[in-house]
Amino acid sequence: MLSIRDLHARIGARKILKGLDLEVRAGEVHAIMGPNGSGKSTLASVLAGRDGYEVTAGRVEYDGRDLLALAPEERARAGVFLAFQYPVEIPGVNNAYLLKAALNAIRRERGLPEVDAFEFLALVRGKMQLMQMDESFLNRGVNEGFSGGEKKRNEILQMAVLEPRLALLDETDSGLDIDALRVVANGVNSLRSPDRAVVLVTHYQRLLDYVEPDVVHVLYDGRILKSGDKSLALELERRGYDWVRQEAQVA
Amino acid sequence: MTAAGPVEHYREAFAALAARDDAAAERSAAFERFAALGFPGPRDEAWRYTNLRRLESRRFAPTDAAEAAVVSLPSPLAPHRLVVVDGRLRRDLGSSGLPAGVSVRSLAEARSAGLSVAALLRVPAGGGTERFAALNAALCPDVLFLEIADSALPEAIELVFVPGASEGSMQHPRLVVRAGRGSVARLVLRHSGDDAERLVNVVVDVEVGPDAALHVYRLFEPGERTFHIERLEATVGQRGTVFVHDAQLGAGLARLDLNARLAAPQAAAELTGLFLADGSRHLDTQVRADHLDVGTRSLQDYRGIAAGRGRAIFNAKAIVHPGAQQSEARQSSRNLLLTPGAEIDTKPELEIYADDVKCSHGATTGQLDAVALFYLRSRGLSETEARSALTRAFAGAVLSRMDHEAFARVVRDTLDLRLARLLETRP
Repeated sequence: MLSIRDLHARIGARKILKGLDLEVRAGEVHAIMGPNGSGKSTLASVLAGRDGYEVTAGRVEYDGRDLLALAPEERARAGVFLAFQYPVEIPGVNNAYLLKAALNAIRRERGLPEVDAFEFLALVRGKMQLMQMDESFLNRGVNEGFSGGEKKRNEILQMAVLEPRLALLDETDSGLDIDALRVVANGVNSLRSPDRAVVLVTHYQRLLDYVEPDVVHVLYDGRILKSGDKSLALELERRGYDWVRQEAQVA
Repeated sequence: MTAAGPVEHYREAFAALAARDDAAAERSAAFERFAALGFPGPRDEAWRYTNLRRLESRRFAPTDAAEAAVVSLPSPLAPHRLVVVDGRLRRDLGSSGLPAGVSVRSLAEARSAGLSVAALLRVPAGGGTERFAALNAALCPDVLFLEIADSALPEAIELVFVPGASEGSMQHPRLVVRAGRGSVARLVLRHSGDDAERLVNVVVDVEVGPDAALHVYRLFEPGERTFHIERLEATVGQRGTVFVHDAQLGAGLARLDLNARLAAPQAAAELTGLFLADGSRHLDTQVRADHLDVGTRSLQDYRGIAAGRGRAIFNAKAIVHPGAQQSEARQSSRNLLLTPGAEIDTKPELEIYADDVKCSHGATTGQLDAVALFYLRSRGLSETEARSALTRAFAGAVLSRMDHEAFARVVRDTLDLRLARLLETRP
C-alpha cells in the first residue's frame, strides 16, 4: 500500500531523511521508533505534504500513485490521514463543520453521496462514544481550549470518522495519561482491518502494549536501521537505541 | 484648477438651493464653515492615508429627489422600514406606520412643532469630517428627525438610504435620532446604491438619553464607484449606551468618522464591526470615544479584511478627559491581508488625562495562519474551502456580536459570497 524508496528530505539546508526505505502492506500495523531528532516527525510531515520540507531524492508510492505529487487535500481524499503531534487550535471553525466538510470531500472522491446533517450526526455520535468524548465538543472551535489529551482524542475521532486507508499517527501517545492512552488505542484498534494500514510514529513502547504492531522499525539519523517484530520494541525500551547504531556500524 | 475650484463648485450648488426653507441663516453659516475648512490639504493628519483629489476633481450635481425616481430596494431586514431617496424621506416606499413610541418628522414639521432648527442642522465640531458635515448641513434637502419616546421599546426599524439620481450626482442625507430616557431601540441603517459614480455625504447625529440603549446596525453596501463620506456622532447620557454594529462591505472610496461622546456618568459605547476592502476599494474608518465623565465605558473592536488592490485604514482613538475617573476604554483592531497587494493601516490611540482608569489596546495585521491552513487541507478541504473557513472564522468574532438576526444573516451571506469570489479568482 505504501512504498518508500531511498527517501531524502531536508528543511532548509538541514538534511533530515537520508535514504529511508519502508514497505507497508494493507492490513499491517507498523511502529516507527527512534530517538529525538531521528526524523520521525519529518517522515510524517513529508507523507502528509506539509510545506517547508524539500524532498531531494527518492519515491513514495501509495496504492501505486506518486504520493509526493499530490496536494495535501488530494492525499487526504485518497485515504491518507495524519494524526498530528501538535494539533493546531482553530477558533471560529467548529469541529462539526470540519468533520462534515472533510467527510464529504472524501466521500465525493470515492463517488459516494454526501451525508446530510442527520446521517452525519448519527455517525459522529457513535464515534464519539467510542472516544469517550462529550457531544458538546462538536460545537466548539477545532481544538480550541482543548487540553493536550483532548486534542489527541480529537485527532483519533477525526480518524475514526474519516476511516482512512492509511493512518499515520505522529506521537499521538505522547503526553497522554493511561486512561487517555487506552481510549486512543481503542480508536486505533477499531480501525484495524485487512484493507487498511496504520503507521505509528512513537517515542515510547507503551502504546504498543495496547496496539500490537506487526513490524517495528528503528529510525536513526534519517534511515531505518533495523526492523523486527514487536519484541524489538521491548528490547529498545530495555536497552535504548545505542546498540542498534553500533550493530549497524559493524554491519 | 485653482485651489478654490472645488469649493466654488459647491458654492454654486448651494446658491442654486438658497431660500428653499426657513433655515437660511443656519445653512449659510454651515456653508461658510465648509468653505473656510475647504478640502483637506496634503499634510492634514486626519487624512493622512486618504487622498481626496479624485473627489475634488469631480463636479457632482446636486439632486432633489424627483417623486418619480425609481429605486430598487433590497428585501427588508426589520418589521418597519423608512426609505430615504437622495436625502428625502419617501413615505410611499416605506412600510405604512411606525411602531408605537417612534415618530419621524421633516425639518419643516420639527420647526412648526417649535424645535430648534439650529440643533437639527448642527455641525459636529472637530475631526477630519467636520468640513463635510458642514457641507451636509448646507446642502441636505431635508432632515429626517427620528424620535424615540421616553421608555419606549419599539420593534426594530430599518432606514434605507438609496440614491435616486444617476451618474454624477451628489446626495447629502441627514438623520437626527433622539432616543428618549429609558428607551430601548434597534435601528438598521442601510446604505445601498448602484454602480453610478456619485458622492454621498451623510450625517447621522444621535442623542441617547439617560438609561436608554440604542442599537445601530450599519450595513454599508454602495456601488464601487461611490464616494461615501459619513459622520456618525453619538452623544450618550447618564447610564445610556450606544451600540454600533458596523458592516462595511461597499463603496469605492469611503470615509467614516464614528464618534461617541460619553457625556454623563456611566455612559457607554460599543463600537464594533468589520470591513472588507476587496477589489480596489479604499475604506477609511476613524472611530473615536470621548470619555467626558466618571465611570464611562467604551469598547472599540473592529476586524478588517483586505484583498486584491484593496486598502483600508482603521484608526481607533479613546480619550479619557480630565475628571473622567473610573472609566474603562478597550480597543482592539485585528486585520487580515488575504493577498499580497492589499494593505491595511491601523493605529489604536489612547489619550489619558485621568489617573484612575482601565485601558487596553491591541492591533494586529497578518495573513491566514499557514499551520491552520495545512491542518484543514490535510483533512481533505480544498485550499479555497480552507481559506474561506479561516477567513469566516476571523470575521466570526465580530459577526457573533451582531445580535440582530436578519442583519447578521445578510452580512454573513454577503461576506461568504464575496469571499468565495475572491478566493476562487485567486491565481
